[in-house]
Amino acid sequence: MSATTATGLESKFDAFKLERPDPKLFQYYLWCALLTGPLSPIVLLSFWFRYSTLRFKFDDTGVAMSWGVLFKQEVYLTYRRIQDIHLTRNLLQRWMGLAKISLQTASGSSKAEMSIEGVLQAEELRDFLYSRMRGAKDESSSTMRAPTDHGVAEHIAAAGNERATRALEEIRDALKTLVEKRGV
Amino acid sequence: MALGEKAILRASQWCYQGVWGIATKWFHVPEEPPHIQGADDFSVRSFRPSEGYLRYLKLFFWIGLAAIDIVLTIAWLVVLIAMPIVGIIIAPLAWAVIILPDIVAYIAIHLRYDTTWYVLSDRSMRIRRGIWTIHETTITYENIQNVAVRQGPVQRYFGIADVLVETAGGGATTGGETGTIVGHFGLLEGISNAEEVRSLILAKWGESRSAGIGDDLSAHEILGKTHAVASGLTAGQWSAEQVLLLENIRDLAVKLATAV
Repeated sequence: MSATTATGLESKFDAFKLERPDPKLFQYYLWCALLTGPLSPIVLLSFWFRYSTLRFKFDDTGVAMSWGVLFKQEVYLTYRRIQDIHLTRNLLQRWMGLAKISLQTASGSSKAEMSIEGVLQAEELRDFLYSRMRGAKDESSSTMRAPTDHGVAEHIAAAGNERATRALEEIRDALKTLVEKRGV
Repeated sequence: MALGEKAILRASQWCYQGVWGIATKWFHVPEEPPHIQGADDFSVRSFRPSEGYLRYLKLFFWIGLAAIDIVLTIAWLVVLIAMPIVGIIIAPLAWAVIILPDIVAYIAIHLRYDTTWYVLSDRSMRIRRGIWTIHETTITYENIQNVAVRQGPVQRYFGIADVLVETAGGGATTGGETGTIVGHFGLLEGISNAEEVRSLILAKWGESRSAGIGDDLSAHEILGKTHAVASGLTAGQWSAEQVLLLENIRDLAVKLATAV
């Protein structure tokens, strides 16, 4: 049963649509806060701030993440500059179907530059990021195509050139009239 | 004698399977090695640390066990001799303290061994380890900065070595402990084919021309660009957006010209 739901989620997974963490993340934070004992109200408050302001934005070149109420933070990194991807799941996270994806760039600290939490399809997201990482794909296959497309490209370029020239000429003429009317 | 040993072995195996069953079912410990998406299955190799690594861990286990248990036993014997009645009363507790941690530690060693996976594809490597916190690290060969093979005298005796793979960036690389350390490295502990892994990564380096710190253009892309320039294509190339923009400017200019 779990296998079928997993594949169902997989087919629906779209990283570009991810914006907010799953509500389960707050449940997880709740448990973590409870584990701190007497400090839990304070910890829970900071967790709540983090959870309620956490936003993701995945685009073609990179991923942005922002959070914070008083001290706002926004991190942006490009997929190609990711050095290593860490997927960690502790027992509680496994029970709740959560995971943490830590992304590292070539920075000076051993801490992760970005920790994405609260994504239910963490493995799919990891694969998404991995496939955009440097060295995950054969780069020659997509870029060596350019020479073979020469003919087509030339054709498009020629047509575009013609239109652009015409537009430029019309701009020149329009500006000329403008200048003449002003009597400069 | 041999029969008794076999029975013990079978019983312990049966117990361990029970533990493993609980781990996979209730604690969601995955049984299969991690899968690398997009890699073709022929080139992917998944393996655990070598058997020697298990013996290596157990050696330290027995040394630690002997040291701690001798101390505990002596302490209990002292109590028994000094105060015989108290000694007899606390005997079950004392023996539980002496024996139970050993069993737990022994099972933990096996679990640690069985949950460690190293997966090498033709482009990247993925390392999984951990029982409570399962930690999966993915590194592409392109991003690897250096490879170190380490082997201590005891490891040499067991025919194993550690391969430490580092990517660009600083931070602690003393890792080796399972846990939450997230550094710029991957550690393949206790493998018998360390040289093979190292030469695989070296071979990948031979194919690559980049410095491994996120260059935005690959050699092929640069080649493609120069090719395009050489053929005079980019010199007069207007993209569809540019043409549209130009036409917009024209429209505005025309409007302005007619309005004045």
